[in-house]
Amino acid sequence: MKSTIKGIVCILFLFSYTVSAQSYKTESGEAIFHSKVPLHSFTGSSEHLIGLINLDAKTVDFYLDLATLDTGIGKRDRDMRETLETDKHPFAEFFGKLVSDFDPSISKKQTVMVEGDFKIHGVKRNVRIDGTLQMTDQGLQLYASWILKLADYNIKPPQILFVKVDQEQEIEIKAILTPTEN
Amino acid sequence: MHMIKAGIATLGLLLAGTSLLQAQMKRERVIQERPVEDTFLAGSITGMSTVENLPKNNMTSVVMHNFGLVSGGIDSFYGLDEGAAVRLGIDYGITDTFSMGIGRTSEENTVDFRFKYNLLRQLSSDRIPVSVALKGDLGINTSEEPRFDFTFTERLNYLGSVMVARKFSDQFSLQLAPMVSHFNTVIQEDANKDLKNTLYAVGIGGRLKVSKRNAFIFEYIPVVGDRNSGTRNHASLGFEIDTGGHVFQMFFMSGQWFTEQHLIARTNTDISALDFRFGFNINRVFSL
Repeated sequence: MKSTIKGIVCILFLFSYTVSAQSYKTESGEAIFHSKVPLHSFTGSSEHLIGLINLDAKTVDFYLDLATLDTGIGKRDRDMRETLETDKHPFAEFFGKLVSDFDPSISKKQTVMVEGDFKIHGVKRNVRIDGTLQMTDQGLQLYASWILKLADYNIKPPQILFVKVDQEQEIEIKAILTPTEN
Repeated sequence: MHMIKAGIATLGLLLAGTSLLQAQMKRERVIQERPVEDTFLAGSITGMSTVENLPKNNMTSVVMHNFGLVSGGIDSFYGLDEGAAVRLGIDYGITDTFSMGIGRTSEENTVDFRFKYNLLRQLSSDRIPVSVALKGDLGINTSEEPRFDFTFTERLNYLGSVMVARKFSDQFSLQLAPMVSHFNTVIQEDANKDLKNTLYAVGIGGRLKVSKRNAFIFEYIPVVGDRNSGTRNHASLGFEIDTGGHVFQMFFMSGQWFTEQHLIARTNTDISALDFRFGFNINRVFSL
């Protein structure tokens, strides 16, 4: 009986070790959007992107408090929060799986693809996003970019006088994820 | 039997562990309590400042105009022919709660320096129910006065104001602002006139949103206690349009100035007698 308990403890210990060794997290990733209106463009960014990648389970989980996006002009930020209805829908979030191979023993940048649900403004859509992962001394370095169409998420583009903000917004995320402690 | 139970327990734990692996992180907001936004859309309603301040490194340029009295009728094209009183100004957010600005008004070539400091910001949770801001303004009359040889100090005038505002709903905001104005010099043109260096007033201002981008605005600055002979309480009523990049304010106002110390001490037209003038302000915010 004692040996059984020891066995269970050993298995659990090994299991948790494996989890911690293959889980990478960030709480200070960067999310950037590039927005265009005729004759003008602007960028908004946040350094509060939170993400967790588990290489064993191949899960990818990211979310951003949209109220932290900063375009450099307070009034524009307020307009953006109103457009995105951040009081009602505070997060942009992705939860999905790595659908391509990634070898953490290679230090070279590797192109990867994730597939899962991206949700913003209360609308969830299944998406596939290309990006890169690279194992570095600092941790697991992530970069991804994609085009978000506002209409796909029922986001009505804000209008400046009679000019509307472009439907297509380029999104970028950058992060260095470090091994989780637990 | 014990071995089987232990095996089942192990499997259960492993499955639980696996499901934990698959679980999403708990979503938590970075900023739990946000200040209430857009109590007012601009730093001033017409001539009266609001609790609204500039974020750090934002700059606003403000062009404020008003014309002659509408009661002049068609002969003066309802005041438009009489030329405009204009204040051009810029303000800059040094921190998220402290801004400084400079302006120049065509009346008496007045240059004014001002600051605004937010002591409190109303929170959406109502834990702080009002926004409170302090404003100070130092005006300098730089006009040539042939009759007197003013020293620099004699040309100075001041305003101190405590602004208390609450956004009651998405549609309606109200502000009360006790104020004190002081002029180092008052010129008594008429021996019968009783003029004071220091005056007190309580400004009342509000905004009533009628659509996503449009609102009615008003302000009223009754003088409390002693007042200068022949002066009236300043009042204005206007309409505000938010275009996204600019905030336009079109209004009718009784006072001719865009600095509160002058609105308190120098307004001599009576809005209740339909003596008011048309004016408009253009506010534009930039990031530096």
